Amino acid sequence: MACTSTRPSPALPLDLARPPELPADASEQERALAEENARLRRICAALMERVESGGMAGGAPYGAFEHSVLLAEQVRERTETLQRTLEALRRAKAEAEAANHSKTRFLAAVSHDLLQPLNAARLFTSALDTHPLPEASQRLVGNIGRSLKDVESLLGTLVDISRLDAGVLEPDIAPFPVATLLDTLAEEYRQMAAARGLELRYVPSGAVVESDLALLARVVRNFLTNAIRYTESGRVLLGCRRRPEGLEILVGDTGPGIPEAQREEIFLEFRRAGARRDSPDRGLGLGLAIVDRIAGMLGHPVRLASRPGHGSLFSLRVPYGRLATSRPAATVNRSGEDRVLAGRRVWVIDDDPGICEGMVALLEGWGCRAHAAATPARLAGEGPPDVLLVDYHLEAGLDGLEVAAGLREAWPDLPVVVITANHDAVLTSRARALGYGCLLKPLKPLRLRMMLTTLLGPALAPPGGQR
Amino acid sequence: MLDAPLPRVPVETPSGSAPPLLTAVSRQGDPRLAAAELADALRHESLGFVLFFCSAEYPLAALSAALDEAFDGVPVAGCTTAGEISPQGYERGCIVAIGLDRRDFAVSCALVEDLEGFDLLRAQGLVEGLLEECRRRAVAPLGEHSFALTLLDGLSSCEEQVLATLDAALGRIPSFGGSAGDDNRLAHTHVHAGRRFHDQAAVVVMINTRLPFEVFTTHHLRPRTEKLVVTRADRERRRVLELNAVPAAEEYARLVGLPVAALEAAVFARHPLAVRIGEQHFVRSIQRVNDDGSLDFYCAVENGIVLTAMEPAPLLDDLAGVLGGLTQRLGEPSLVIGCDCFLRRLELESLARVEEASRLLSRARVVGFNTYGEQHHGMHINQTFTGVAIGPRPTP
Repeated sequence: MACTSTRPSPALPLDLARPPELPADASEQERALAEENARLRRICAALMERVESGGMAGGAPYGAFEHSVLLAEQVRERTETLQRTLEALRRAKAEAEAANHSKTRFLAAVSHDLLQPLNAARLFTSALDTHPLPEASQRLVGNIGRSLKDVESLLGTLVDISRLDAGVLEPDIAPFPVATLLDTLAEEYRQMAAARGLELRYVPSGAVVESDLALLARVVRNFLTNAIRYTESGRVLLGCRRRPEGLEILVGDTGPGIPEAQREEIFLEFRRAGARRDSPDRGLGLGLAIVDRIAGMLGHPVRLASRPGHGSLFSLRVPYGRLATSRPAATVNRSGEDRVLAGRRVWVIDDDPGICEGMVALLEGWGCRAHAAATPARLAGEGPPDVLLVDYHLEAGLDGLEVAAGLREAWPDLPVVVITANHDAVLTSRARALGYGCLLKPLKPLRLRMMLTTLLGPALAPPGGQR
Repeated sequence: MLDAPLPRVPVETPSGSAPPLLTAVSRQGDPRLAAAELADALRHESLGFVLFFCSAEYPLAALSAALDEAFDGVPVAGCTTAGEISPQGYERGCIVAIGLDRRDFAVSCALVEDLEGFDLLRAQGLVEGLLEECRRRAVAPLGEHSFALTLLDGLSSCEEQVLATLDAALGRIPSFGGSAGDDNRLAHTHVHAGRRFHDQAAVVVMINTRLPFEVFTTHHLRPRTEKLVVTRADRERRRVLELNAVPAAEEYARLVGLPVAALEAAVFARHPLAVRIGEQHFVRSIQRVNDDGSLDFYCAVENGIVLTAMEPAPLLDDLAGVLGGLTQRLGEPSLVIGCDCFLRRLELESLARVEEASRLLSRARVVGFNTYGEQHHGMHINQTFTGVAIGPRPTP
């Protein structure tokens, strides 16, 4: 067992309480030392008092100060640590953003370069379609057209999902009558449904909603495409239900339904519930993944109800909107359309000769007088335009809005349609603010035709026109 | 293939083109004329709050009334000084004032009259009240974009507890301030709030702003090797009777190599004492020598604290460095509100560097006053330059 020694130290015992006694015959030096000794004892005592009262802040003013200093020091240390962490996070975020940005730029560049020739091919097939052809050729043209359309929609889907993930797609929210969207979709999908022996029932609604028209269209299109794709027989329903919180846009079908267990899974990428094996299915299974992302971004809740063996009902709830000024809906009937377009002079400005050629073929097919060039200067010899179609991205850093602005100096009321591969809400809203129409690439001939009809239609119809 | 950004359209900011902070000085001795001159320079339709620092020579009651009348309902807070810092630099016998635009600043103000009874509960009530008032007019998130300015009666001997308590209640809201002075007479120092001057009181001003800001403190003093232990003290009166077990004045005089009779404020300024806590030294300034050979301090003292002798490094180099750093971090400041210990000014005066200092302060847009003690994050400190630098208005 260890034993602690308590041997007295060889020096004098240190009794702090009692000063040592000085002999009567002490020398001067001894007296001085004794005096210093006494002072040191006092200092020692003061320090001991301080040490022993340490930590007992108990209202003492100096204690309060000391406490504040210690607290401030702790705060400073923590702030420093926090700042270092924040700095590291900021750097990591900046790196991630830079990587993401370059990915997005790459995708945008690739998609633009791919869409350009595809766009031209689509225009050519559309133009070809209007020529009188032997039946066999007609069928082939139709097949080419459909294949191109599929490539286009696949490409569009891939670009969209990458843009959604990169967070670069900014919604462009505006109020509009829901019928402007659903009428068009119903018309479009009725034929598609009929081709598969299905009936599309559409119940129109007069409601006005507030959303991004293009993004909302993608969601409803996905619902409709799925409904038609998976339904063997029966009906597909498109309609709306007024809820207190918003308008519910519904797409129902009499398809196989979705088992409970799969209802979350189908919203993930590349997942498909048992597709019809015989169907020429060209989807990648990205549809509902896009729906999920868009709905999340717009804040529109998605609902799915399904009874296996009986059918499914997909719905999306959109907030109600109010139109700023009531505009009579410009409904155009087909027979009137051709008269509206016939003989109208259309200027097309695009720096891609393929596109120029395709557009001229298409527009002439509708009875327009079309002139296309890379710059307006080259069209100076032609007659004044009734409408301008301009590509947003022109060579030499020129953009379509500048070209349009230049021409509007000569013809202030010239209707303008800007065509762009850039799915950017900023551009769309800029165009809209200037009163221009805006169409996205790949250009859909039907959309272009509707827009031209609207722009050249009733208000601008020549005197003596029937409508 | 991405779009070029939109051309920047000049956007009319809510604050228009008027600067967010206006400053003014009046050297008029007559309170009415002085108040009118300040109001003339500062009043505009968005003036939200006025801070002022005035010489203790003004007839204070008359000045309160004159300010109240001149600013017509705009709240006013301030204190007496041991010298003012105007937009032109060091001055005496004048009033400097700062006008805060309510489109850039939401300001609330409270008075603490019972310093002795200021406990945590009251401090929390006070801070909550200030925040609540700011919240109604807040121009930026309250938590990250606010700071508190404290103005204390510099002779109240209550700074340490009041500040520690207030700091606990303020949480992460930074605070700074100064103790009111009276031109080195050590007789009457006053703070102003609620239309009149008060002694034995403190003013707390909560300032919420959308401008960037930084609360800072600096001093230019470096430690030497000599140590003095307080062996007898009267904590109630902030008095040290003995240092190293001999009469305090005697021991201090020996340290600085002067007779006791020669001890005066300029000597205290050049030969400060500090306590060391951790790695930092905090100056504990001497206020005066008493006839019994004891020393009075501007801050709390206690038996057994160890004081380190300090010596000054070049003051203006340090100040220029700190002000330069603030500009680097915040951009060209709109204003720096400075609480500058009067002992620093004494040192500059004895070195004949006042004009040079004035030029530096003026260039850095400092406005403020000479204090009897500064406050920083709940600490009562001495012989420092402490304040807040307010950066330029953020571009939209």
